[in-house]
Amino acid sequence: MRTNLKLAWRNIWRNRRRTIITVASIFFGVLLSTFMTSMQEGTYSKMIDNVVGFYSGYIQIHHPEYWDNKTIDYTFAPSDSLIQTLNNTPDITSFVPRLESFTLMSYGNNTKGAALIGIDPEKENKMTNLSHWIEKGTYLKSGDDGILLAVNLAKNLDVNVGDTLVLISQGYHGASAAALFPVRGILKFPAPTMNNLGGYIDIKAAQNFFSVPNKYTSLVLMVNDYSNVSKAKRHLVAQLGDHYEVMTWDEMDPLTKNMIDADRSGAYITKGILYALVGFGIFGTIIMMIAERRKEMGIMVAIGMQKSRLSKILFYETSLIGFVGVFAGFAISFPLILYLVYHPIPLTGETAKAYEQFGFEAAMYFSAKWFIFARQALIIFIITMIVYLYPLVKTYNLKLTKALHS
Amino acid sequence: MILAVAWRNIWRSKTRSLVILIAICLGLASGIFYMAFYKGMVDQRINTAIKTEASHIQIHHKNYLNNPDKKFLIANTDSVVKVIQSIPGVKATTSRIIMNTMIQSPTTGSGVKVTGIVPKDEKNVTNLYTKLIEGSYFDNGKRNPIIIGKKLAEKLKVKMKSKVVVTLQDMQGNMTGAAFKIVGIFETSNTAFDENCVFVRKSDLSRVMAMNPNSSHEIAVLLDRNDELKTVDQSLKSKLPNLDVKTWREIMPEVSLVESSFGLTMVIFIGIILLALLFGIINTMLMAVLERTKELGMLMAIGMNKARVFTMILLETVMLSLFGGFCGILLGWALNLYFGVKGIDLGAWSAAYKSMGFDTLVYTKLSLSISLEVAGMVVITGIIASIYPAMKALKLKPAEAIRIDM
Repeated sequence: MRTNLKLAWRNIWRNRRRTIITVASIFFGVLLSTFMTSMQEGTYSKMIDNVVGFYSGYIQIHHPEYWDNKTIDYTFAPSDSLIQTLNNTPDITSFVPRLESFTLMSYGNNTKGAALIGIDPEKENKMTNLSHWIEKGTYLKSGDDGILLAVNLAKNLDVNVGDTLVLISQGYHGASAAALFPVRGILKFPAPTMNNLGGYIDIKAAQNFFSVPNKYTSLVLMVNDYSNVSKAKRHLVAQLGDHYEVMTWDEMDPLTKNMIDADRSGAYITKGILYALVGFGIFGTIIMMIAERRKEMGIMVAIGMQKSRLSKILFYETSLIGFVGVFAGFAISFPLILYLVYHPIPLTGETAKAYEQFGFEAAMYFSAKWFIFARQALIIFIITMIVYLYPLVKTYNLKLTKALHS
Repeated sequence: MILAVAWRNIWRSKTRSLVILIAICLGLASGIFYMAFYKGMVDQRINTAIKTEASHIQIHHKNYLNNPDKKFLIANTDSVVKVIQSIPGVKATTSRIIMNTMIQSPTTGSGVKVTGIVPKDEKNVTNLYTKLIEGSYFDNGKRNPIIIGKKLAEKLKVKMKSKVVVTLQDMQGNMTGAAFKIVGIFETSNTAFDENCVFVRKSDLSRVMAMNPNSSHEIAVLLDRNDELKTVDQSLKSKLPNLDVKTWREIMPEVSLVESSFGLTMVIFIGIILLALLFGIINTMLMAVLERTKELGMLMAIGMNKARVFTMILLETVMLSLFGGFCGILLGWALNLYFGVKGIDLGAWSAAYKSMGFDTLVYTKLSLSISLEVAGMVVITGIIASIYPAMKALKLKPAEAIRIDM
């Protein structure tokens, strides 16, 4: 094996220029592809973080009918066994209760439809860091009777901290719900869509407003890592049965998931074409190599080298070219990506505006997850395997007499 | 003469030339085809944006878009419409009242955008009436008809002829509501639109809101051709200085971005493909030069000057690239023409693209100018690729080259 490897290594450097050009094309393909994948993954995880971190959480638990109807009639009071299950699931780091519905908010002559979200101020703050986004006024205290408003909503209603809002909605089983709430604070989120969303009040006040004492519409769960979400969900579904509905972030917000999917599908095509071309480059080199070494190979077989060993050496040559290219690519892309992970590239102009419209911060984020690199290495390996079929067939079909005379 | 020599030289090593030709051909064919696919998708999205959603130009009260409140009205709709219709290039106009409010069915409620339209004008501007899957487009004269999207109908659990209640604030600030009977259900390619928009007659809505029937929130303008957008936009702006005139590009910046980024995305995409091909072409040509060292030396020795040697190599490379490129563009066009008629079903990605407003059956589309640009880029690539091998050839010393043992 060592001799074979050595032979292969020397063979590929016999024609230095050709090997370098082939390696360069692989290098370039790997570099481009790692960058693209890294940027995609970075952007995706940022998108997910935005959705999950600001609002929806990784997993939510609802009344089984809630999600399809989203009305206050499908609320639930969490049983002790539910709380126990949540506490005993290792991947779940925290959970907060919420009670939310749609209301009309009025101030003076202005009325706006908006979401009203009842929260436990302290727990909510620990999970989503809500108080961080207070622009004016103060955050809710526990048992507060006031309301926090998202900045655009407050502007459109023309209210300020200290003004009192009228809220009108439909409570439990059609009961009418109406109450006054003084504005305690104005929230300004970095994600622009959140700024139109609605208002936050204390969960006790919300339960009274909607006439659903001690009930919630949802429990919002945080999981220690994104990759454990489906595992945690499976665990919860097994434990809770069909008394509750367990939904992950991507089921609740299919738009984000869809955007990721759609973007990924486009990127697959680009990368597929790129790698196909790199594959052709390697193939061309191997064809040349075989063609100019026919006589040499003939002689080697004539003096007693088995064809299997010959093809083994060619196998090493093909994969060596591939791996040198991959590692050269990594040598440049890895440090650069590592740098960019901590220093995202800010965006400007029209692109930035479009990003903000979808609720994302305008910057290009990168990711340095191991699979981004592992995947490139695997793809190049598969390509070299396919290309290797050519020398494999050629060596086994080598006609000694013909090869010696070429 | 040199042209013929170069052409014959290409075919001296058939396998090698074929490998690179196939690579160029497939690379460009997939590039061109992907471009046609993307272009088709973007065009269909823009078409939907104009025909169903935004129209070409929208006119509002100066403050309306910042704060979509009922009080920001265009007071004298009739005279404004007269002004608009006097401008050449305008095909049709329609006026609307828009309220963001709450809609309730017996089972549940949801926040929606209620648009009051004048059915016979609206028909000339938007193609919503073609998207009806059930019922009719405000055909009979009964009181308070409403048309809602399929997605919303499912959410509210309502059918044709069901009653829904729209709650809103009238112009005096009183909360009021009206029952509407569903006379039609529509389905567009944009699920978000289907869920959030409902349509009623403008006369019904203005009566419920105690509003002057001659006032409206929005006037939508359809032009004869999209090319006239700029000129009409400018003359409208000068003739209606007190109103806010916006084109669809400003109203739907995310769609405009898709369109404006199309050109750049495609140049980068083709650029990547050509860059990958560049390595292959250099590799092939370098081989071609190096294995002909003796022959090239001989040619120089018998009096072929350097300029001609250079031209010969250059021509070989450019012809190789152009021939491959030509086949590729031809193949790409053939695919484009086929799928332009037949359409490509997005299959597994359908749901993802649909939620972002894209059609799921894509008809490919390609402009001649862009294929010529690609052909130009191929020629440039060929010239760049030829430089290194041609320089190599020039550096040969005839006296040494003819003695080399091949």
